Amino acid sequence: MKLEIGNFYVNEIAFGDELSFKDGVLTINKEEALAMVKEDDRITEAELYIVKPGDEVRLCPVKEAIEPRVRLDGKGLFPGYTSPLRQSGNGVLHALKNCSVLVVGRHWGGFQDGLIDMSGPGQKHTYFGGLNNIVLVADTNEEFERYEQQKKNDALRRAGHKLAEFIGQCVKELTPEDTDVYETTPITKRSAEVNALPALVAVLQPQSQMEALGYNDLVYGWDMNKYLPTLMSPQEILDGALVSGSFMPCSSKWSTYDFQNYPILRALMDEDGKDYNFLGVIMANLNVAMDQKERAIQFIVQTATELGADFALVTEEGYGNPDADYVGAIAALETAGIKVVGVANECTGRDGASQPLVTLDEKIHAMVSTGNVSELIELPPMKVVLGELEALGRDGNSGGWEGDEVLGPSVRPDGSIIMEDNGLFCGDMTVGWSHKTMKDF
Amino acid sequence: MSKKAIIYVNQFFGQLGGEDTAGVGPSIHEGLIGPAMAYNAQLKDCDVTHTIICGDNYMGSNPEDAVAQILGFLENLEFDIFIAGPAFNAGRYGVACGTICKAVKDRFGVPVITSMNQENPGMEMFRKDIIIMKGGNIASKMRKDLAAVVKVANKMLAGEQVGPAAEEGYFPTGRRHQVFIEEDATTRFMRMLHARIAGEEFVSELIVPKLDRVPIAAPVKDLKQAKVALLTTGGIVPVDNPDRIQSASATRWGKYDITGMERLESGVFKTIHAGFDPAAANADPNVIMPIDVLRAMEKEGVFGSLHQYFYSTVGTGTTEKEASRMAKEILPLLQADNVDACIMVST
Repeated sequence: MKLEIGNFYVNEIAFGDELSFKDGVLTINKEEALAMVKEDDRITEAELYIVKPGDEVRLCPVKEAIEPRVRLDGKGLFPGYTSPLRQSGNGVLHALKNCSVLVVGRHWGGFQDGLIDMSGPGQKHTYFGGLNNIVLVADTNEEFERYEQQKKNDALRRAGHKLAEFIGQCVKELTPEDTDVYETTPITKRSAEVNALPALVAVLQPQSQMEALGYNDLVYGWDMNKYLPTLMSPQEILDGALVSGSFMPCSSKWSTYDFQNYPILRALMDEDGKDYNFLGVIMANLNVAMDQKERAIQFIVQTATELGADFALVTEEGYGNPDADYVGAIAALETAGIKVVGVANECTGRDGASQPLVTLDEKIHAMVSTGNVSELIELPPMKVVLGELEALGRDGNSGGWEGDEVLGPSVRPDGSIIMEDNGLFCGDMTVGWSHKTMKDF
Repeated sequence: MSKKAIIYVNQFFGQLGGEDTAGVGPSIHEGLIGPAMAYNAQLKDCDVTHTIICGDNYMGSNPEDAVAQILGFLENLEFDIFIAGPAFNAGRYGVACGTICKAVKDRFGVPVITSMNQENPGMEMFRKDIIIMKGGNIASKMRKDLAAVVKVANKMLAGEQVGPAAEEGYFPTGRRHQVFIEEDATTRFMRMLHARIAGEEFVSELIVPKLDRVPIAAPVKDLKQAKVALLTTGGIVPVDNPDRIQSASATRWGKYDITGMERLESGVFKTIHAGFDPAAANADPNVIMPIDVLRAMEKEGVFGSLHQYFYSTVGTGTTEKEASRMAKEILPLLQADNVDACIMVST
């Protein structure tokens, strides 16, 4: 499999007459873009904004992030979701780097939505605080879930994906500044030297715990709740086979942008063939019932064993209940003789005194910790709020609250906020961007 | 304006004498005695105003009274920090430093700090409550240990955040928090992966403590002949608590004769456990230590006989280390009395 990603580095985004990219400046015709967004008649209200690092802007409730891209073969970016099925992982695509499309609810948020600050002490808490962002702020007529804590956010998420595809078109005919090539040889066709190396698999556990459909991560458009682990190429993930869902406290989530750019997967590919043979990704999921968890773990271990894996990455998109899937997979792989390095965040409570993962196992030998979901974070007011800050306290956001006897409300009259890490948009960056770790105090 | 510190030391460092004065009660002195001089010299923008001295045995035998007296001394004093020790590996002194620091912190809400050796029993007892610097084992480490205390104390006085345990040199308090670091997770992951592949040393960012699993005992062969003993962590003791078992973070246990008793009477026995509402247990101690039911079963011949002693301690806040030590002290006594089976009543 060979995937080439041509990079166009965005230094500035502006509104103008014509969608174009020139000398690092991405220009968007706002009316044209909004007209495209409003083609979905569920969208009742939409506006576009441009934000860059350093702007005194707070975004809330953020629902999704997508990197604008285009495939040179003209096929859709997210097969099975916003376009017909195709095989991901092969071919050439062009990507607008340092840049994302963010989708923000005009009014209403929920459990799964997040917050981004573009400057100040909150900026470092999300990856997107450091990017140039095109922000779609919109509302929909999805009355059935307007006041629900758990929202599918279907219209808004799809609007974001379509907008990212729309914007990506402007670099289709241009020559990229540089190109990343991700090429792999089928497992049994690799050289004798490579086959002699210790073999490695990456076990990814995307979020799929909502029994009702429409909330979970999608693989080729398929709801991952109704799914069992299978072998995939890392290039498929980088090329739109996975789409982020709308369930789980936000700081533990992987946005679609995270899947498109998965830093740990890219690092594993970069060093493939040196001191390990990267066999591929066992794309798993996260489940609710114990037998579902055990069944998925059985598939993971059997696949890894049959492939002859010696080492594994295991990482989960979530915390709490899914820790059982994560720790279970690690322990079962270690029992099978496959040595694991895990990557996850922890939940040690506001006081830091709780058990870090819901289940622990002595077979966890090596783990990278990327943050504490319940850490309390206090942030000063921002001059501009895109969306509706009240959503943080009002709509059941996992990191916010309406009122607290000791801490007061999450959203204060002066616009300053106090919240748990939980509510920061993809803030714990378990995909590999996290500059946070956990330490004993 | 410079801040104020108060120092706690034992009879030896308070220059009252050695073991012969260990029974002396608390006293407060204006000015600097023993280590207080060095603290006064090294604390930044902070004067040591008083030194409190208490004999280790007095604090050990009369902790409630000693603490009450000392809190009384402090009631009308202004101070910004309370420092005890260093206590090195002196067990009674370490427990005293922990006891008084925790009490002062709870009452006055000011920063407190002490220093002990890792072998000092006071460390496990109090490390979750207060900051205890990792100290040397003997008094010749005074300069080093005191300087370590001062370094963190100065941060506390300046209102700065005290950093992670490993970086600041104190015993982990059982709390984990996120911190921002230079390296991203990808870099850390790749390094850990390479180390695992190469079989080299690495440090996991989450260390899962080894669980001390005890295998489940074999069934009692013949219950009808068995001598059964009752043990509890529910703190049931004779009303005068003759063994002075602590109400939390216990290090002591007691052995009590129940010869001739059909049940434990209220007013004769009570609970000293601080982890639950004692009303029900004080009204009827048998709800925790079910002598009444076991006597009835003994009569029915369900088992051979009830052992003439029960054993009791308090489980709340008690460390695994202390609990296992107490068990090792109790076990030989049970064996010597030919006890066949134990019922461990928890709360």
